[in-house]
Amino acid sequence: MALMPKRVKHRKSQRGRIRGDATRGNTVAFGEFGLQSTQPGHISAATIEACRIAANQYIRGDGKLYIRIFPNKSVTARPLETRQGKGKGEPDHWVAVVRPGTVLFEIAGASKEAARDCFHRVAHKLPVKVRLIERRPVA
Amino acid sequence: MATIERLAAQKRDEIGTTACRRLRRNGQIPANVFGHQQDPVAVKIVADDLRPIIHGRAHVVDLNIDGAVEKALIREVAWDTYGKYVRHVDFLRVSEDERVTASVPLQFVGTPVGLQNGGIMEQPLHAVEVECLAIAIPDVFKVRVNELDVDDSLSVSDIKDIPEGVTILDPPESVIVQVVPAPTEEELEAELEEEGAVPAEPELITRESDEDEEESSSDD
Repeated sequence: MALMPKRVKHRKSQRGRIRGDATRGNTVAFGEFGLQSTQPGHISAATIEACRIAANQYIRGDGKLYIRIFPNKSVTARPLETRQGKGKGEPDHWVAVVRPGTVLFEIAGASKEAARDCFHRVAHKLPVKVRLIERRPVA
Repeated sequence: MATIERLAAQKRDEIGTTACRRLRRNGQIPANVFGHQQDPVAVKIVADDLRPIIHGRAHVVDLNIDGAVEKALIREVAWDTYGKYVRHVDFLRVSEDERVTASVPLQFVGTPVGLQNGGIMEQPLHAVEVECLAIAIPDVFKVRVNELDVDDSLSVSDIKDIPEGVTILDPPESVIVQVVPAPTEEELEAELEEEGAVPAEPELITRESDEDEEESSSDD
């Protein structure tokens, strides 16, 4: 089952525009390697779930996967073969808003080669271009 | 403890976003020097000079500001979004006999036995806070982990070879590394089934539901 919020203030939200780079959530915080987005985009809950399954199937027993994004924005859709009008459609799915620089996933306890191979599989499922990053040196 | 590198800096009059952007375009990095109850000084550094110092894990540098040399601790480094370029550096003036706090990364030596026995190594702490002389900040704490089996852990108190005069500020019982059993096939499947019970749409936060919560909390 896909991720979504437990409680919300409003069922529907406006689409909005994704401007600028990520100023938060742009560093590796939990693991040693991370998958960082280089493009803006919306990543659906189903996509995150597919990535989680693909990553866990690869690193099973050799590391731990952290998911750093959460789909907290609803996207509405109109039923098929209906006329336009009659107000906004009903919530259809949930997406995470991703800015360039956002760290999407992290891996802990795995080698760099394993993390690269794992994220290579995950990257095929994502609608944004991504890159592998490592933890920054301690200042 | 790394050797203390020299770093040349020039005072700058260009202050503000536009001026700093112009500096960065010209291969320089804006920085500030403060501390010792003196006025903060805005300086600029050549990016190519700073890069090896940052990647060499140096903590203290001999900062040469227009000919006047003073010791400074690299207090904070601001990176760009992709972690590729340094955008700004904060330097704290220090003297040789001054005690400061700093973060020292942990480096694990060896492969835990538990990994062969179906475990996963987790690292809750990647660096520890220490208090020591400014010129004696350790580069790294090496921790041997090859004897760790599944369900074993090491805490801050297990860090050995701490140099004299260095005090670790993190609580001694804080776990730095642990080997936990890897999830089995059944656990992963159970996790998927458990998630299937989530309702189709989230609960709506309304004024009525908030009042109900307040009433139930006042009843308690």
